[in-house]
Amino acid sequence: MKITFDQTVIDLTPQGKSYRATVGDQTVDVEIVRAKEGQLELLIDGERVTAYVSSDGTKRWVTVNGQTLMLTKPAASAKRRGSGHDHGSGLVTPMPGLVRSVNIEEGEAVMKGQTLLVLEAMKMEIRIQAPRDGLVKKLLVKQGQTVEREQVLIEIE
Amino acid sequence: MFKKILIANRGEIAIRIMRACKELDIKTVAVYSDADKNSLHVQHADEAIHIGAASPKESYLNADKLIQAAHASKADAIHPGYGFLSENASFAAAVASAQLAFIGPSADSIRAMGDKSESKIAMKKAGVPTVPGYEGLSSEAEFKKAADEIGYPVLVKASAGGGGKGMRVVHSESELSEALESARREALNSFGDERLLIEKYLADAHHIEFQVFGDQHGHLVHLFERECSVQRRHQKIIEETPSPLLTPALRKEMGEAAVKAAKAVNYYNAGTIEFIVDPDTMQYYFLEMNTRLQVEHPVTELTTGLDLVQWQIRVAAGEHFPYSQAQLTQRGHAIECRVYAEDPANGFLPSTGKLLQYIEPKGPGIRVDSGFTAGNEVTHFYDPLLAKLIVHGEFRELSIQKMQSALREFIVHGVVTNIDFMQSVLTHEDFSDGKVTTRWVEKTLDSGSLLPPTQKRASALHIITAALADLTIVNRKSSIENRNEPDPYSPWKQLNGFRN
Repeated sequence: MKITFDQTVIDLTPQGKSYRATVGDQTVDVEIVRAKEGQLELLIDGERVTAYVSSDGTKRWVTVNGQTLMLTKPAASAKRRGSGHDHGSGLVTPMPGLVRSVNIEEGEAVMKGQTLLVLEAMKMEIRIQAPRDGLVKKLLVKQGQTVEREQVLIEIE
Repeated sequence: MFKKILIANRGEIAIRIMRACKELDIKTVAVYSDADKNSLHVQHADEAIHIGAASPKESYLNADKLIQAAHASKADAIHPGYGFLSENASFAAAVASAQLAFIGPSADSIRAMGDKSESKIAMKKAGVPTVPGYEGLSSEAEFKKAADEIGYPVLVKASAGGGGKGMRVVHSESELSEALESARREALNSFGDERLLIEKYLADAHHIEFQVFGDQHGHLVHLFERECSVQRRHQKIIEETPSPLLTPALRKEMGEAAVKAAKAVNYYNAGTIEFIVDPDTMQYYFLEMNTRLQVEHPVTELTTGLDLVQWQIRVAAGEHFPYSQAQLTQRGHAIECRVYAEDPANGFLPSTGKLLQYIEPKGPGIRVDSGFTAGNEVTHFYDPLLAKLIVHGEFRELSIQKMQSALREFIVHGVVTNIDFMQSVLTHEDFSDGKVTTRWVEKTLDSGSLLPPTQKRASALHIITAALADLTIVNRKSSIENRNEPDPYSPWKQLNGFRN
């Protein structure tokens, strides 16, 4: 069967007690030795590996050999989640915080790198800068407002 | 000795202090904000008092509420921890006039050192070397003139500042105006005081600080140095002791300067004299004094064998500190890594969320001071420090190896952390050579030589693991449909079916 993560397709074929896993041009034999809450003990080509996996909607947090990655399943397999922050021209909040100052107005021409607004979060100032030259189409927040992660702040065209 | 201590802080440091209290058979009182009802520090205390809303101004920075809580719980002392009100002289004075003991230095010492401009003037007078610069300027024109005289790059920083807040490096005149404005705003917002000072920015310097410790009877010693040059956003992420840069002669000289600096303000309790050292000239300059316990105090504890927090409590209760300078030695090598919920690939921006998994490493010579456990929420209200991982080995190379191994066993899911990033710092040859300066992280990231080398090979394994975990769900979905499951995609609900 085929499973997709972050545009990478993996093919898993059961073979008795183990699985044959193919990712790209790499093929390995994987056996699950033990599985408990959040933890898998695997034999990968005979080598024992302890892996940690957590699941949050479409996200999978995986730690193998001390390295942690966050993988994402394609949205189709998790329609219950409000995914799709697809705002091609919009600038989104990197983290929740407070809008400390707004330095531009709607309709204003901005230059790449110009500080458009300043957020404050965890007592730090985070400058939201223009990713390119353009025109401020929409300003969706005002000074003093609390914003959530990935909320659209400004649309630039 | 005190019978009950209120800890005016949260997170790992509150828990660290509560441990010391318990060992000394002293009852503990936690305080908490709306956001911290379920936090770990609340569960560690003998009693807990709610002090207000999540915003620090309404809770952990509210002196009146903290003192009221101390009275209500019949505590006889307050430990401020670090951050929040720990270096606030008015708070220390208010605690004293409320007939409570403040576990820290006198309000006068805090005041004298708390102001970066005043302290620099006092250090110059005491004969401690300081960074070339100016204090007491106000207009933009004055700053501009000063910057021209000092020569760019310059550093503007909040007089009342600390922890990298209200601090800006200015590389050229064109950046000066915006830097002054934003440093002022951040200073006003964080410290309620917008005064700035300006000084030469020493880009390629080591940050080396000396722990000092004194009792209320005039005895004060230093407890050697901590090398804290691995920094991002002017905040430390990896600290160690001994410093790979210092020679025994320079260590002795700087230690004596640290004692002189602390004595100049009649210091007692735990404090830290921060220096910057130019590795080319080996010249050192006083930077500032932190009049409180430091985040990185554990590396000093492991190498000197002293429990600094216990001693803070004991000297605050009037005990004598019994060790002379000659009796104190450094044994072995200790390193601390600060595990932050932040994304190194995204400008080290804090990462918030629920901790889906949280597993700490264990073993000989490994210590974890932490404020979180699995299921806890990392919110944007407070500093994103999850835990401090501290190791102690016989010598530097062994400590580095121990740290690398411990970091591999530190599992955090649900928020992005800097664990992999610190791992790549530790494996970098500049780190093993002891050549890291305060701007090293920024420079090395820009040059692209700070990426985890095994990233590519690892990710195939990651994907296989995730797929195997997911397969278990596919298997069970055909047989069981549990609509009440909070997360129907969680692979951990029906593993038995998969294994059969």
